[in-house]
Amino acid sequence: MAKGTTEKIRRKALGITAALIILGFGAAAASLFNWQILRGEEMRAKALEQSLMNTTLPAMRGSIYDATGKVLAQSASVWTVVLEPAYLAGDEALRRTVASGLASILELDEAELYEKTGDKSSYYTVIKRKVETDIRDKINDFKRKNKIDNGVRLIDDYKRYYPYGTVASNVLGFTGSDNQGLGGLESEYEAELSGSAGRLIAAKNGWGTDMPFEYEQVVEAENGHDLVLTIDETVQSILEKYLAQGIERNNVAAGAVAIMMDVNTGGIIGLATNPSFDPNDPFTIQDQKLLTEIAAMPDGDEKDKAESNALNLQWRNKAVSDTYYPGSVFKMCTGSMALEEGEITENSQYTCTGGEKLEGVKDPIHCWQRAGHGTTTFREGLCNSCNPWFMHIGDLLGVDRFCKYREAFGFTDETGIDLPGEADSLYHPADTMLPIELATECFGQNFSITPIQMISACAAVANGGNLVRPHVVDRIVDSNGNIVKTADTSYRRQVISEETSSIMTSILQQNAASGTAKGGYVSGYRICGKTGTSEKVAKFYEDKAKHADDPEYVAEMEYIASYCGFAPAENPQYALLVFFDEPDRALGNTGGNAVAGPIFSAIMQEALPYLGIEVKYTEDEYDRLDMVTPSVVGLTIAEAQKKLEEQGLGYDIVGNGEDWENKVVEQIPESGSTVPKDGMVVLYTQGYGMDEALVEVPDFFGYDFVNASYLAYVQGLQISVNGVTEDGAVVSLQGVEPGEKVKQGTVISLTFAAELNTETYVTDLPD
Amino acid sequence: MPAVGRTARGLDQPPRRAPRSPAAQPEKRKQRRRKMKYALFSLGNGLDMPLFVFVMVLLAVGLVMLFSASYAVSYYSQGDSYYYISRQGAFAAFGVVAMLLISLFDYHRFHKLALPVAGVTVVLLVMVLVFGPLLHVKQIAPPEGVAYRWLNLGVQFQPSEIAKFALILLFAHMISIYAEKMGTFRYGVLPFVGVLGLFAALIFLENHMSGTLIVLALGAIMMFIGGTKPRWFVIGGAVLVLLLLAYLSFGGKDESGEGGVYQMNRIAVWLNPFEGDPDDTWQTRQSLYAIGSGGLLGVGLGQSRQKYLYLPMPYNDFIFAVVCEELGLVGALVIMLLFALLVWRGVYISLNAKDRFGTMLGLGITFQVGLQAVLNICVVTNTIPNTGISLPFFSSGGTSLMMLLGQMGILLNISRSSNVEKT
Repeated sequence: MAKGTTEKIRRKALGITAALIILGFGAAAASLFNWQILRGEEMRAKALEQSLMNTTLPAMRGSIYDATGKVLAQSASVWTVVLEPAYLAGDEALRRTVASGLASILELDEAELYEKTGDKSSYYTVIKRKVETDIRDKINDFKRKNKIDNGVRLIDDYKRYYPYGTVASNVLGFTGSDNQGLGGLESEYEAELSGSAGRLIAAKNGWGTDMPFEYEQVVEAENGHDLVLTIDETVQSILEKYLAQGIERNNVAAGAVAIMMDVNTGGIIGLATNPSFDPNDPFTIQDQKLLTEIAAMPDGDEKDKAESNALNLQWRNKAVSDTYYPGSVFKMCTGSMALEEGEITENSQYTCTGGEKLEGVKDPIHCWQRAGHGTTTFREGLCNSCNPWFMHIGDLLGVDRFCKYREAFGFTDETGIDLPGEADSLYHPADTMLPIELATECFGQNFSITPIQMISACAAVANGGNLVRPHVVDRIVDSNGNIVKTADTSYRRQVISEETSSIMTSILQQNAASGTAKGGYVSGYRICGKTGTSEKVAKFYEDKAKHADDPEYVAEMEYIASYCGFAPAENPQYALLVFFDEPDRALGNTGGNAVAGPIFSAIMQEALPYLGIEVKYTEDEYDRLDMVTPSVVGLTIAEAQKKLEEQGLGYDIVGNGEDWENKVVEQIPESGSTVPKDGMVVLYTQGYGMDEALVEVPDFFGYDFVNASYLAYVQGLQISVNGVTEDGAVVSLQGVEPGEKVKQGTVISLTFAAELNTETYVTDLPD
Repeated sequence: MPAVGRTARGLDQPPRRAPRSPAAQPEKRKQRRRKMKYALFSLGNGLDMPLFVFVMVLLAVGLVMLFSASYAVSYYSQGDSYYYISRQGAFAAFGVVAMLLISLFDYHRFHKLALPVAGVTVVLLVMVLVFGPLLHVKQIAPPEGVAYRWLNLGVQFQPSEIAKFALILLFAHMISIYAEKMGTFRYGVLPFVGVLGLFAALIFLENHMSGTLIVLALGAIMMFIGGTKPRWFVIGGAVLVLLLLAYLSFGGKDESGEGGVYQMNRIAVWLNPFEGDPDDTWQTRQSLYAIGSGGLLGVGLGQSRQKYLYLPMPYNDFIFAVVCEELGLVGALVIMLLFALLVWRGVYISLNAKDRFGTMLGLGITFQVGLQAVLNICVVTNTIPNTGISLPFFSSGGTSLMMLLGQMGILLNISRSSNVEKT
């Protein structure tokens, strides 16, 4: 056998050893030196780059407050429930537990959840978004109870709440699933409201989940700013309430708008539009009729289209995005122009013959009063809403001056209101304007403007001639309460002089008190107003064209009934524009005075006292004034009778009235509420019967004052009057719905309006 | 005098202590029992302390680094940070005991075992191929990518790991037998090439490139040292290069020759680790990021970021990248030095063995460890293309750790035997 080691073997072995160690480890060491020292920084940077994760920390969206500090929109913490199936997939029992537990907490399908827990490759499967605190707590309890650590996660998010529901929805807009503003202020002020998301820079592992490193850098999220609006929720609700009543009463087909503006600052106090929506649930169609129609449609593109149209319609802010012919409301501007230019005074005269023939136009343009108004002053002409009078003004002004003022009043520019989607107005430019166009524009037809342009111009007429900047946001406040920005309330320009303004105010006050705008009258307040009835000419021709093949078809004109005015006359503060798009012709009323007037009146009557406008009654008004009911509960009948007589009130007794020493246990009207002068208080004694006490409220609609009073008397009810009762005015609104049961003696508030369709049929229609 | 008998006697009759009852003349069985008992008490007797220390230090450092490198992956994929380290720890503990026991086991008895072990190994390798690529019985031969390396017979192990040892053993056996005839073609080349060819071919068919390479290298080194004429290596080398070229060009052209594309890819990645398909270059890139992040002194033990699911299988072939990241260039050099010392001590022991079998067996074992360490570190540092070689004492893997420690036991036995003889 060979010897263990020969010299040859030793040499070879040592040679190989040396080669292995020197070459092998030498090469490796050189390589290491290259990567670790020479290219170390580069490698380190690349490694860091891939292992740092930038997580967005959501910023809380700013709140929206009304002028009095009520919260209109607010964000609150919610959570996204996320499954990490990779941690669950391997454990059958755990999968079952998680699926059944979460299914019952989140009201999801258990089988589907179970399926989801089996996806080994997933670390992030969203199963429900925007769950609230109670659900979060339930999930945490569930996790604790079942000792589930990984596999179910809750991720922070925010959700938007609108505590007042549909109130001011078209102004506020809404937010999408990523809390981004969609529509309204939410979108207009997206940058301010959204704040800036923070960032968490953390180490992550190769799968993108967190890593137990101490390397963590947080850039705090900066919460969004809050908006404080000029809108007052109370006024807004008043607007919406009466707007809805007007729509119902007149079966309005194409929506409605009511805007109230502070004439001196341009701040919008309320802006109601219809249709509207619930920003808490913006994707639900609110219009029940549309909803049923769409539900009945077969599935498909057409249905989707109808659905999206319906949604867009309800999200639309009609006050800024839709245009209309202002109609006779515009006469307050035309009149101001002529007064300002000195072409007329309030006493200038003009003779209306019922129509005016224009050169080059076949048929004359009629006044709504076909018989003509005869010779009237300008003051009377405006109160009559006489069209030829204003065509005459057009003549006096000429195209250039008319267009100059039209521009000065802001009708050719966007108002710049801080709401998205402001529409451009459509008008005839000065250089191509024909006489007929001038003539018709002078009384508000043939050019389209937005409601917000109209009320801005009205504010200028009211406030001494200055064009304001309409705005909804009064100030932007950061999360520490510092004011970041306040609204610009400076005037854009002076359009007319203070003198012209005060003359127009006086005329418009007369118009509302006794002219064609009586429907808007509110006793105790010096209301200035102008009605408007706009023909939807474009729609008329469209309808005609659509049915061109049908010889039977007779196109009928649809109208927009509007009322625009302001109060109080002695120191104008608030302007209000109410308009209804396509009131139902079948119900008889399409005119501004009859349709929009009562709504204007009702809104003003409720809003002005709230806004602190002083009540001043004329003698005539004072006579009809309601008074405050004294308290007689607890007195004997005899004492009560004496007390009421002292105040000039009558009485009636329900229950046992034999014994005058009986105590009064209840009174209607209640103490402190209003009762008409010369009205009565019904005294209820111990043990009165409900059958005896309750009466049904009749339908007063269409009754004049005398008949309404009688109807109320018969039923044992009392009425309080709103609006002007003379000249054939009839009840257009009543405070308590017909058919409701109330106690005897209850005061029902009735709004009267003249059934006067003033400004229709002005356009010369072909055929 | 036969070398076997002499050395065995040396172990059997340790001169330092006399038997308890020298007067008694015990029968064979009793005698053996006493010898065994006695041997247990003399574990340290003749044991090469430096080698033992190097082994234990490398094993300890390896375990610490394995824990550090594996706990993140272990946590994410097994839900238990201790999954790899507890298994490896158990194998290590068991392996150390086995190593010490084997160090008492006279390595000459492996003479008789050389052929049976080689035979069993061939059977196992063939089984892998039969149940793997041929029959696709996943329970017995679970595939790993395109490769079949595993065999599951109750316990799961890699026959190729056993094959390395089997080859070393068989070659040591053959070289010691053919000692004087190694210069001839008939004894010094033919049988060796036959055995080596069979082993290499079987492992190659498993698609186990690194195993094939190591077996070929080890075989060649042992033949070279054993006395095969150098010209045969020139011829063999030329043949291998031709085979390799044929394989690469064939594999590159044949659509079904995935292996070829696979190897070509690895060369492309090696040349341009930061370009090309990010999936292909991922492992190499992440390894270099890890190594680079370590710099001179490292980010500190346990502080690696790359092990957090960036570096694939940081507990296995690429554990050295984590070592470089955590311990830096200095730490990496220290560990390379430990391996160099181990190799030096292994060679020293082998060269001092009293017979050719011991020398060759020791050298084979030593060079196997050295070769694997060098190749692994060179792969991790992208010095050579990725071949998939694990790092001895560090990489997770029960079969290889057990085999490794077992072989260390043999090396220790060789040292023990020569030390005792010398005294």
